[in-house]
Amino acid sequence: MIELTNLTKAFGSFVAVNDVSLSIPSGEFFGFLGPNGAGKTTTIKMMTGLFTPTSGRIVINGFDVEKQPQEAKATFGYIPDHPYLYDKLTGREFIYYMGGLYRMEKNDLKENVDRVIDLLELASWIDKKTEDYSQGMRQRVTFASAFVHKPKTIIIDEPMVGLDPRSARIVKDSLKKQAHEGASIFMSTHILEMAEELCDRIGIINKSKIIFLDTRENLHLHKTKYDGNLESVFLELTKEENE
Amino acid sequence: MTFLHILWFKNIMFWKVSTKRDVGMVIRNLGSFIVFGSFAIGAFYFSNFITAYLLENVRIGLFLFHRFIGMLLFVFFITINLGNMVVSFSTLYRTPEVDFLLTSPVSYLNIFVIKFLDNFFYSSGTLFMVGFSLLLGYGFYFNLPWHFYILMMFGVLIPFMFLAACIAVIVLLLLMKLASVVNFRLLVGGIVLFYIAQIYFYFQVSSPVNMVREVMKYYPYVDLYFGTLDPTAVKVLPNFWVSEIMYFYVTKNFTAVTGYTSLLVLSTLGLFIFTLAIADGIFYSTWITSLSIKSLTVKSLQLKNSIFSFGRPSFFSPQVEVMLKKEFWQFIREPSQWIHFAVMMALLLIFLSSVSTLNIKLQTPELKAVVYLVVFIFNIFLINSLALRFGFPMMSLEGSAFWTIRSTPITAAKVYWIKFAIVVIFLVALSIIISWLSNIPYLYMQKVTGEQPWIYSFIEPSDTVKILSYFSMIVTPLITITLVSLNFGLGSVYSNFIEKNPIRIASSQGATMTFLLSVVYLVFLLALYYFPATMLFTAEMKDLQPDWHMLRIVFFAICIPSAAIIAISHVVGLHSLKRDY
Repeated sequence: MIELTNLTKAFGSFVAVNDVSLSIPSGEFFGFLGPNGAGKTTTIKMMTGLFTPTSGRIVINGFDVEKQPQEAKATFGYIPDHPYLYDKLTGREFIYYMGGLYRMEKNDLKENVDRVIDLLELASWIDKKTEDYSQGMRQRVTFASAFVHKPKTIIIDEPMVGLDPRSARIVKDSLKKQAHEGASIFMSTHILEMAEELCDRIGIINKSKIIFLDTRENLHLHKTKYDGNLESVFLELTKEENE
Repeated sequence: MTFLHILWFKNIMFWKVSTKRDVGMVIRNLGSFIVFGSFAIGAFYFSNFITAYLLENVRIGLFLFHRFIGMLLFVFFITINLGNMVVSFSTLYRTPEVDFLLTSPVSYLNIFVIKFLDNFFYSSGTLFMVGFSLLLGYGFYFNLPWHFYILMMFGVLIPFMFLAACIAVIVLLLLMKLASVVNFRLLVGGIVLFYIAQIYFYFQVSSPVNMVREVMKYYPYVDLYFGTLDPTAVKVLPNFWVSEIMYFYVTKNFTAVTGYTSLLVLSTLGLFIFTLAIADGIFYSTWITSLSIKSLTVKSLQLKNSIFSFGRPSFFSPQVEVMLKKEFWQFIREPSQWIHFAVMMALLLIFLSSVSTLNIKLQTPELKAVVYLVVFIFNIFLINSLALRFGFPMMSLEGSAFWTIRSTPITAAKVYWIKFAIVVIFLVALSIIISWLSNIPYLYMQKVTGEQPWIYSFIEPSDTVKILSYFSMIVTPLITITLVSLNFGLGSVYSNFIEKNPIRIASSQGATMTFLLSVVYLVFLLALYYFPATMLFTAEMKDLQPDWHMLRIVFFAICIPSAAIIAISHVVGLHSLKRDY
């Protein structure tokens, strides 16, 4: 479960996220959409502890991210938009490393490393150093490392960057599986079809504020106002005032 | 034209970064200015004082004084040479910029020259400043005219350093060429041995002890020129030419000055042209070779079932275990880390082997104190170099993967302390060994007992010398903790998660400032240590009681500022990790 209450982040005079409030219950797949520079990544970075909010509150699975950061972080897995790994470790070593940071015991960790390697079909190259990986391979290793400790919540920033169609399918299936098993998922994406396919609810952020928040079913009602296309809804909602 | 075009844009990038306007940057620049300025002034006074002290108090004479400068310049030359070689490996063969430029219509030679110059000026800026300050201190003592400084900077110091860089890059290019047919690690081992042998033979051939003995036979006429004592092999070395230029400038033999300066400048120019010719022929092919070296390293350094394997159980907690294992693999699989470490350890070994067998036969307590302090400060300087090179970049080496720390249930402070512990435990252990080895000549003095000179017996050292040795062995680890804390803490403050090259991180502006701060601390130690060292050697020679009160004062005078530096370094280092990532 994720609760964002009046969340604001300012960099000097520039307000990147302005008074955002959201509630995502357990088991929900939430899609977070918005144009470039709207505030998606900043919101996610605040949720995961990479940025400190200027004001507001974030509670994940009952833990305040600012006041109980270790407890909150233990309950979620994060997949960043740029899958930076430690170049000198192999993919398998990186997943072990991440499991260790989540304080997993060795036997449990071994089982789960094998599980996520199978889930994301990484076996054929997982023992090479990550500096030799393609963007897609890195992205899949990041997914595996986020799933290894069986998180209650998964936070994803642009999951499809650099993925080939087969990898994209593997990632989508793995996300569906996690949601099916009861994890709540917060996913920012630019791929509208993917949001439409996977998400139970969609929020759109533009110019640092939430401008749309509704279920997938209700979204269809909005679509009929335009040409039945989510892209048209998105473009209309996020269009520049002078357009 | 392409060359100038690229230089122009590099210049724009440099100025955009340097003149970025925010409060933090202004404070940092102001801090840097104050530290650099203070250091320059400190270096000036230090050089001026040492020159006066050696020539007026110790009275070693102009010839010996310049020969010692020559020996220091040899070490300086080798340091620049090795430093440039390691940095050039990273900048020429391991940077995305070269990868990118190779895909553009820029000639291989242009790419080489751009990276070579970038490399040289990036890592030499502080050395120029330090060199100039030292020259000023030296020149002021001798009352030298303004043209001395112009000549020394542009006609001597820059060509001297550039010559070292040219030799470094020629050796590197040839090494990379050979790497296509010979195992790379074997070559690295060979080159390390070659440098060790060079240093060993240099000090064997130009033995400072013999030189002092021979020159002192002519006392008090020690300002005269004793060139016949110089071994022929030493005369072809650039450090010898520089010391000759300085000696002849002071003694106003301008014909000799012109001769040696021309020799230095022409040699540098010739070697630069030779470097370009070699680079034009083999740079691209060696870059291709470097790609296969990368895959060689991957296969051979897996060590699957070692205690460092991630799958193996450990008695540490899971977070500590994975952090330690990650640090180990990052270090062992990064050539610029382990090669540099091996080279520094080899140099340390040579230094210690010669220091521990030093035969101290000096007659005055002042000279004994000077020798003792030189060895003591050199030990600390070595520790500081290791702390700067390997401790300063440690937080930065988390790189773009730092998100893994900030988004998982491990505190950044825990990561900080684990990394600090790795460096401090190793360096404290090393400092104890170094301190003990360098005190061997004082604790285990030998004398020839029989007719045969190879039969020795140990002399029981006096209590006063024992006190000084034990004092150093207690104080050195404390100083090590201080220096590691300073380097580590400020390494966190100046952390750069974009730069992947640890050598560039360790020679960045932040690192230079940290180095200068630690040198200020070293000078402070030297000044403090001078008094007990002289007092204890005087007590030993004149059979007096040591002044315990002075020892206690010195001990606390070292402890209190050290504790303050440790505390401040960690507070600012830990605080800096709270920044937005």
